[in-house]
Amino acid sequence: MKSAVKNHIVVPHRSERRFYGHGIPGVDLEQLAGKLIAVEGADGSGRSTQIAKLVEWLEGTGHATVQVGLKRSTLVSEELEQAQEGNILSRTTLSLFYATDFADQIENIMLPALKAGFIVLADRYIYTLMARDMVRGMDEAWLKNLYGIALEPDAVFYLNVPPEELVQRTFAKNASLDYWESGMDLGLSRDMFDSFMKYQTTMQKTFRRLQASYGFTIVDGMRPAEAINAELRKKISALLAGK
Amino acid sequence: MKTFAELNFPGRLIAVEGLDGSGKSTQIYLLKRWLELQELKVYFSEWNSSELVKSATSKGKKRELLTPTTFSLIHATDFADRYERHLVPLLRAGHIVLCDRYIFTAFGRDVVRGCPPEWVRGIYNFAALPDLTFFFKSDLEVSLKRILDGRPQLKYFEAGMDLRLSTDPYESFRIFQGRILEQYLAMSTEFNFLVVDANQQVEKQQAVVRELVSSRLDLASFHRAERPSSPLPAESHKRATKVEEPIQ
Repeated sequence: MKSAVKNHIVVPHRSERRFYGHGIPGVDLEQLAGKLIAVEGADGSGRSTQIAKLVEWLEGTGHATVQVGLKRSTLVSEELEQAQEGNILSRTTLSLFYATDFADQIENIMLPALKAGFIVLADRYIYTLMARDMVRGMDEAWLKNLYGIALEPDAVFYLNVPPEELVQRTFAKNASLDYWESGMDLGLSRDMFDSFMKYQTTMQKTFRRLQASYGFTIVDGMRPAEAINAELRKKISALLAGK
Repeated sequence: MKTFAELNFPGRLIAVEGLDGSGKSTQIYLLKRWLELQELKVYFSEWNSSELVKSATSKGKKRELLTPTTFSLIHATDFADRYERHLVPLLRAGHIVLCDRYIFTAFGRDVVRGCPPEWVRGIYNFAALPDLTFFFKSDLEVSLKRILDGRPQLKYFEAGMDLRLSTDPYESFRIFQGRILEQYLAMSTEFNFLVVDANQQVEKQQAVVRELVSSRLDLASFHRAERPSSPLPAESHKRATKVEEPIQ
């Protein structure tokens, strides 16, 4: 990494910050000096690989980072995991449970980190949560109100990988498909492979719909990991430079 | 938002609201006993009681991890769980469902904690309105005395300590309850609260409650089905009674 060797560290440009909706009470947006970058995409789309590479690059270029993701809150992650295993929660409940998990991370991780000027990398953001619920028939306006607590990220990258490839990548890693990532709760098909393909196709359509209103960057996830990362780095560099 | 009756549910939902110490829990308990003794299909549900969410809520409260937003969301999760798994199925099966606190508790508390009212109301808009909402209106001092006399150890969130209104839990509780009372009064007309003077004796209040319930609901239609009058054929009769087994 040349820039690290040359010791030329870019001081991020301040950006305009806003909540998507009603926001979180008592937050002074002016104080949030850091940057928020979200990486979206299905399991197997390469999110974790990309985030790991970004962290390495960012730290190498002198930026402090923090990572957040779904089901990682101190408050409810264990309970959420348990409830999901039993598949006993109904839709609205599961949706609110995820929102609680997300809100806990906004308040206890994201906001303090942004205040401290960190670069926050979100391994999935509200769009996955919304898409999952929309596919399951939840009201879009209700979801938009609920997730009005979310900060608008400085950049959102959606790693686009077709279901045919996702399934191959999943099998290369594990011998089985995940119940939820296959949308088995939806009863699309009793055949898991079939259900996976149908579910992931619907999820992609929903993401495209969300892209129209939230305007995230769609990244071709079929290329080699390095090529994808180069694209992300280029965009993030521009962002940090305020271009 | 519509009531369960307006949504053509065969069951009816009765909610009680009021400050801590207003005596509403005593009143709904007495109402429940009265309905049960008439052999009616009754189910009782309490705020913040879903088994699933309980461990998260108590952890959050114990460690003082909750912010106004997560406090609001975790209670909404609890409510949704009870609503979707208990209240709605029971109302569809024609029960009288009694709720000790309903969405108005959230509307009041969360807004006092600083959450935007439209956001809170938006979250709860999946829930239908109660068919009857009793609001036990007590003087602030009367409620405070009831609580403070009996249970001098106030819990952190209960006293609204998270709002930093005062470092003294008793003073904080007073201010917090006063603000919630203002919220209740502001909602009273909008949501057709049946206001009961909670400064009166227990028996007087219960008489008012029973009178209103029997005049507003056709109680006879909520009888348990093990009655000879049932015209159902044996097969479906069996199924009908199965639904009515009390669900705990």
